[in-house]
Amino acid sequence: MSATTVETPDTSPAAPTPEMGGFIRRLNAVTGVVLGLVLAVVAWQVSSRLLPQPEELSHNHHDDAVMIITFSVWAIGFLIGIGAFVGPVRWLLGRDLTEADEEFLAGKDQGVARYFRFTTDHKVVGIQYLVLTMVLFGVGGLLAMLIRTNLIRPGSPFLNPTEYNAIVGLHGIIMIIATIVMVTGPFGNFIVPIMIGARDMAFPRLNALSFWLLFSAVPVLLAAFPLGGIATGWSAYAPLSDQSPLGMDAFLVTIVIFAVSSGVAGANMTTTVVRMRARGMSWTRTPIFVFGTTTSVALGLVAFPMFMVAMILLAMDRGLGATFYVASGGGSPWLYANLFWLMGHPEVYVILLPAFAALLEITPVFTRKPLFSFTAAVVGIAGIVGLSLFVWAHHMYVAGWAPALNGPFMVTTEMISVPTGLLILVLLGTLWRGVVWTRLPVLAVYFVLWNFIIGGVTGIYLSDVPVDQAEHGSMFVTAHFHYTLMGGALTATMGAVAFWFPKMTARMLDERVGKIGFWTAQIGFNITFLGMFAVGLAGQPRRVADPSSTFAAGNLVSSLGAYVIGIGMLIFLYAIVHSWRNGEPAPGNPWGGKTLEWQVPTPVPLENFAVPPVVTSDFYSYGEPPETPAPESVSVSRPADAVAPGERPLEGSAS
Amino acid sequence: MSLTEARPADAEPPGEPPTSRPAWRRAPIFPILLIWIVLTALLVAFALVVPARLMGAAASPTMREIETTFTSFSLAAAPVAALVWAILLYSLVAWRYRGGGRPTDPGPPVRGNNRVQVVWVVVSTALCLFLLIWGLIVIQPSTSEASSTQAPLVVDVTGQQWVWNFEYPAAPGAQSDELYLPVNQRVLFRVTSKDVVHSFWITQMGVKVDANPGATTTISVTPDRLGTFDIRCAELCGLYHSYMQTHVHVVRAEEFRSWLATAASQAPTGEVPSPSPSGTATS
Amino acid sequence: MRVSVGAAATVLAGVVAVGIAGTAFARSSASPPLLKATVNGTAQTPQGTLPHAFLQLDTWPDSLAGPHGKDGGPHPDWVSYGPSTNLAVPAHSLVTVTIRQYDTGEEITNPFFAAVHGTVDGTMTVDGATVRSADPEHIGHTFTVHGLASNKDPLFVSVPLPAVADDAPVRADGYPAPHVVTFSFVTGGPADYVWQCEFPCGDGTYAKFGGPMSEQTYMSGTLTVTAQA
Repeated sequence: MSATTVETPDTSPAAPTPEMGGFIRRLNAVTGVVLGLVLAVVAWQVSSRLLPQPEELSHNHHDDAVMIITFSVWAIGFLIGIGAFVGPVRWLLGRDLTEADEEFLAGKDQGVARYFRFTTDHKVVGIQYLVLTMVLFGVGGLLAMLIRTNLIRPGSPFLNPTEYNAIVGLHGIIMIIATIVMVTGPFGNFIVPIMIGARDMAFPRLNALSFWLLFSAVPVLLAAFPLGGIATGWSAYAPLSDQSPLGMDAFLVTIVIFAVSSGVAGANMTTTVVRMRARGMSWTRTPIFVFGTTTSVALGLVAFPMFMVAMILLAMDRGLGATFYVASGGGSPWLYANLFWLMGHPEVYVILLPAFAALLEITPVFTRKPLFSFTAAVVGIAGIVGLSLFVWAHHMYVAGWAPALNGPFMVTTEMISVPTGLLILVLLGTLWRGVVWTRLPVLAVYFVLWNFIIGGVTGIYLSDVPVDQAEHGSMFVTAHFHYTLMGGALTATMGAVAFWFPKMTARMLDERVGKIGFWTAQIGFNITFLGMFAVGLAGQPRRVADPSSTFAAGNLVSSLGAYVIGIGMLIFLYAIVHSWRNGEPAPGNPWGGKTLEWQVPTPVPLENFAVPPVVTSDFYSYGEPPETPAPESVSVSRPADAVAPGERPLEGSAS
Repeated sequence: MSLTEARPADAEPPGEPPTSRPAWRRAPIFPILLIWIVLTALLVAFALVVPARLMGAAASPTMREIETTFTSFSLAAAPVAALVWAILLYSLVAWRYRGGGRPTDPGPPVRGNNRVQVVWVVVSTALCLFLLIWGLIVIQPSTSEASSTQAPLVVDVTGQQWVWNFEYPAAPGAQSDELYLPVNQRVLFRVTSKDVVHSFWITQMGVKVDANPGATTTISVTPDRLGTFDIRCAELCGLYHSYMQTHVHVVRAEEFRSWLATAASQAPTGEVPSPSPSGTATS
Repeated sequence: MRVSVGAAATVLAGVVAVGIAGTAFARSSASPPLLKATVNGTAQTPQGTLPHAFLQLDTWPDSLAGPHGKDGGPHPDWVSYGPSTNLAVPAHSLVTVTIRQYDTGEEITNPFFAAVHGTVDGTMTVDGATVRSADPEHIGHTFTVHGLASNKDPLFVSVPLPAVADDAPVRADGYPAPHVVTFSFVTGGPADYVWQCEFPCGDGTYAKFGGPMSEQTYMSGTLTVTAQA
């Protein structure tokens, strides 16, 4: 696959730039781990000895500072070891990477090994994110099974409270990280550049960096367990987080790394979509999925730095003896709460928007109809993004911070239901009178519309200040956000996996096994969390290891339902793994989709398009006649002789 | 092939006059309407019965108001949820592609319907306004409270990992681990914490306010039911958060006064024979 | 058919993974052995004649003498209760607890816990003297028992343990002469309770409630009221 169609000026310099050495070409995840560990141990020993020991017990910050330094050095060492900085360093030295180097970095001709290196090809990064996200869900799901097993009967049968709190907190943060990246990571990376007609992302090296940053954060997070766990939930409320054992330092370094990772990815995605859309792809012709992912990462760019700052202040409290969150030192727990929720509320829309946008992309394909009002969908997304920045203190109605603001925040929070309703209208309108081809991707739409209505309505209850006074901090809240994030966003993502699986893995997902897993998980999900609404209304607080016997029946139901979820998810996992290895080979466009990713062959060539496509209409023209004079009804055109030697011809676009 | 539909019918909210008899009696409106009515009835029945029973007997007007709000919001949400689910159900029955392989014919190329969108936005905004107005009214302090000349009974609530303790400034020295309150008298809780953030929650009275270190938050309630109710901590506060619970006993005024007097008299006075610091005891 | 086997195997593998993780957690929470109160005779109480049970505990300024072995376990410098933090007392009995308090202390942050609560007639004896509270300026630890609100027989007992003077002479065994605190309370029916120290004596973490104050087997534990044999 020659890359000579790219616009690199082929002027030969006087002396050819030396290529990267063989040593650098051998850097991979293993060398990263090794270097990271070595440097971390060195940092641990050095900082242990150099940092002053506490003179008296009242200033015990030494161990926290050592931990924070050690974990940070691990991450940097890992990135150096995997070759993340090769490009910038060579550029600083005046020896920029050659064409061959760039192709090597993009994983050309390397087979499976390219997934274990600092590979810049967006398709590789997408697959890496897909696998890492599945691993995160596996670990988080395992922790959930432990939680529900401990709650299967009163008396906290097998976990002591310290362990239970640590498991609950780590389950939470693992799931939050996983749900944030689950759509924009795999599909934002793999699909969106193809969907906009680009050859790769704007900053391919930053793309790989964002993935490997996230990868390096995972062992840090898991290190919290042997360090005593965390005493807080994933929300790490101060000042309990000031008090927590050393595991809290692992947690806060994880968050800082994650914030950098998502910031880098956000900058990359936004630049790509704004600047690299194909010729003719005006905003009104841009697929809605692109809107959903781009607004989500942009929102994340605004929100996640708040979490990072909150954690840095916590690191200063724990490691240096600062008192940002310590009232007796002049600080305030409300400082933390505001910083956290300034992130925490936009963050749930960061999670939700790409998932919803995936459904909006899927539904036209499986109803063979245009999207019912692209404009309404964009307005809905914009409304959600705009309002989500102004609702954060609805998590603090009972905190006592600013009771006078409860009313205004109630107003803004309830207003979000209007743009959200618009998105639901678009989905329903697209289904209306459609030819509903009930394959797995569109089944996700149905389940999401069931789950999200329940989740959204219960959110309305919570947005009401008096009702929140009864339900805040109870299991009702837990059930609400599981319905929206898991029943809504995760279910949509499972549909997205089924939808784009043929393009990403060149195999068809086993429909039968996939559906069995999917249905089982959904049934278990509803049993679990409907039972949880019940115990929440009855008065069970959140995050308790040993709920009263009053709630025994509801907890038993929830725990049994959770096992059903586990079984269903494992079956779905098997469907993915089995199909990936032995599934039926997928054609280039099995669903008859119109967006650009379905017009390229499977497997997708290294640079996606031999010739950059020119777009002359939007991608929802199902059923619209292609030959009328109106320019709107012409589907994607390309030069008729654009098939390069060796390239499989594009699948005909369905009319 | 079909061009844009003459009028892609949609379920109009009930109560609007039918535009023409055949239109809304035809599929798909009529069957969806039927499903919608059935689902709404089921959801309304659920909303009227289940939440209030789960939330238990209310022990204060605050909680009663909360339960009423919950029920009214459920009643408002029922037709909306039912509409979405009715359309979903019907689509699976009537519009499902039953052939093998990929569908060859497309669906009707409808790109929006202004009337439907406008109605949808107007109705959802109206519902939103209804919820907002209801909520904003409820959070105003009730007029009976505002005009009450009787001073509230003040109780100082201190949360400390992992126990609640209560003091009554009206009777200096009265301290207790269980809360005693006289019925039908407004109580003002002044809540604080000695360490981390806790949350003081009297489940059946609808009282919840965070206990913050270095600050005092207040909340008031008028208990109007005799009995014993649970107090729990609603904010994860560490090791024994699960066990940070106690009771509130709402008793008659005379009983309360005698309890308070006993508690104040049992308070350790300032002079306490403390053991000498050098520790003369033998092991 | 092969697919069904594969799916079932995946589910089984998941179950096994959860089982392994769960077992690892259950095993790692080392629980000190149960310390049972010894029953000896009966006693007269306002609730009538009840069996009389006795429990003996110590509070140490480190972990070398408690349930963590002679080398003190992972945190030898953490204050700890001993000989165990898992306690069992019989139901419907008068329980008399004697605590030898070896540790120094400071002013208590919440004067509520400087007073005696929940014991028979609200008193305790300290080195032989009967008192209703301890000097709030010199508290070493407390012993505070409480439980879930849904327990049919709520139990709340809190006793302050006076501090040993900072300059008290150290004896041959490495510890100063302790204060001996004795108190009694009446148990109800069988139930589970927890107890912890309410005087912040943890390591330097926030509010001194970290470290030994936030981990079981040091300054907190369980109290099980067992049905009588």
